[in-house]
Amino acid sequence: MQLNPGQVFLGALLVNNILLMRFLGLCPFFGVSNAVGTATGMSGAVMFVMLLATWVTWVLFHAVLAPLGLDFLRTAVFILVIASLVQFVEMFLKKNLRALYSSLGIYLPLITTNCAILGVTFLNVDYGFNLLNATIFALGSGLGFGLVIILFAAIRERLADAPISRSLSGYPIAFVAASLVSLAFLGFTGLFGISF
Amino acid sequence: MSATTPQWVQGRFWMVASLVIVCLVAAFSLARVYNATRPVIEQQRIEATNRALAEVLPRATRFEEQVPDTLWYGFDGADEQVGSVIKVSPRGYAGPIEALAGIGQDGRITGIYITSLKETPGLGLKATEPRFRDRFLNRTPEELRLVQDGGSIDAISAATITSRAIADGIREGIESLRHRLPIGAGKSDPPDELDFSDPARPDQP
Amino acid sequence: MKLKYFTSGIVKENPLLILMIGLCPALATTVSARDGFGMGIAASFVLIASNLVVSLIRRYVPNSIRIPIFIIIISTFVTIIDYVLQAYQPALYSVLGVFVPLIVVNCLILGRAEAFAYHHGVWDSFLDGAGKAVGFTLVLGLMGIIRELFAAGTVFGVAVTPAGYREQPMLFMVFAPGAFLLIGILKSIVNRLTAGKARS
Repeated sequence: MQLNPGQVFLGALLVNNILLMRFLGLCPFFGVSNAVGTATGMSGAVMFVMLLATWVTWVLFHAVLAPLGLDFLRTAVFILVIASLVQFVEMFLKKNLRALYSSLGIYLPLITTNCAILGVTFLNVDYGFNLLNATIFALGSGLGFGLVIILFAAIRERLADAPISRSLSGYPIAFVAASLVSLAFLGFTGLFGISF
Repeated sequence: MSATTPQWVQGRFWMVASLVIVCLVAAFSLARVYNATRPVIEQQRIEATNRALAEVLPRATRFEEQVPDTLWYGFDGADEQVGSVIKVSPRGYAGPIEALAGIGQDGRITGIYITSLKETPGLGLKATEPRFRDRFLNRTPEELRLVQDGGSIDAISAATITSRAIADGIREGIESLRHRLPIGAGKSDPPDELDFSDPARPDQP
Repeated sequence: MKLKYFTSGIVKENPLLILMIGLCPALATTVSARDGFGMGIAASFVLIASNLVVSLIRRYVPNSIRIPIFIIIISTFVTIIDYVLQAYQPALYSVLGVFVPLIVVNCLILGRAEAFAYHHGVWDSFLDGAGKAVGFTLVLGLMGIIRELFAAGTVFGVAVTPAGYREQPMLFMVFAPGAFLLIGILKSIVNRLTAGKARS
């Protein structure tokens, strides 16, 4: 049973937001959400690699691993694919697209261990998505990542100027702020009957 | 590295060879683990299904799979059919829910069982508790809607979506398989059943 | 004095509350005490086993391709624990779900392989891995206990609050916002304690 692509997109973007509801990709979330500029760069890199990784792993899983009964190599193959993809993208950008490289380049090495990418590729297989829905899901998840991380960076820029007690400053207040933002996202529950 | 590292380790040949060796060892050990655990996983799944079947159609002692993984007929000790079990997988709040529903020969629910759900932990899990499952007992398929949707199932508080998914999923599942369910010798009359059942629910054997 | 490799991982370099790595499973899987500890133990197995193997073969790992080799080793152990949990702990597995294969990208594990096990002997690497594993598991378990206590009124499924509370518990704690809030509170307590230590 394939879901309607529109539902897949909104589900990935809002209802089950990858950062706030699925808890994937939290390390870069708290790591680079200090400033809107870095947050934008990071989310661009994540979106780009997420889409590429989804295509490669989806094809690899459905064309090679599943027919050969090699499902048990899934974890190893997927992470290696993502690691080499990141390397490849980095080299390609460095050579051909200097402008893009200078804005995304420094975030690329961090992406290999970003569980959002690997998580999305696993979920695409677990949900049994076809290639269209997998693409939409990756797109929605990537945009959802970007949306939240940029929103959150704006909040943290303000927090930096706020008078916060010493034991709460830094990570704790960021967690509390994330709690409030995710409370807001909880309001999307059941939006348009989306529920995957 | 340390002083004991041999020179050839950093060479080009070993670079390729070591990767190949690591990959082979990894793939080999994974294949071993996979082959060792697969029967256990399969066994777990079968046992879980059998437990669930017995739970939703307690009178049956033997089940026959009619449609693989979707429809079972249940028979009692005298080999008489006492009901059917259907499996439905409606979409819940956070993922697909898998549920089994037992239907007696009179078309009433004999039990439901949630086999897997990825709902909000804790909340959705309440759907697996008897307190929720008992709300389905003895209902006719037509009654399987939430109270706020005009049916007779009380939703779990704060888990309306999960409750609705289960109620609607089972009702729709029964409707789509109606032709395969030997309910009331295939000539059930929904309006009559509704009138009959509402004032006082007859006891289920 | 090698014992400090072990003890430092529990308190001074606690992976979650001091180093702030491995946040995803810490927030996603700690919905109950059993799930928190279960996730911690699964990750611990992978961490200790990969530390052992990496330090065993470290002399024969070419510098330039060490990361891919570490990743293959780690993902092998991850897949092993994945299938073992599916086979013998299906109920736990259904809760942990995608977070079991995702242990492979837990920065803690690759980080320890790269920063410690690649340069140290087998015994030291074991102590280091075990210490970090205990520190990680304890925090996950603690979060699981607290969230289960508030959101269900039970600990390890045993009722510890009056029936009235369990009827209408503080469900907030089991949702995503509750997870963020709890780790924020825990981290602020840690900040407070470490700040006090620095002053005295």
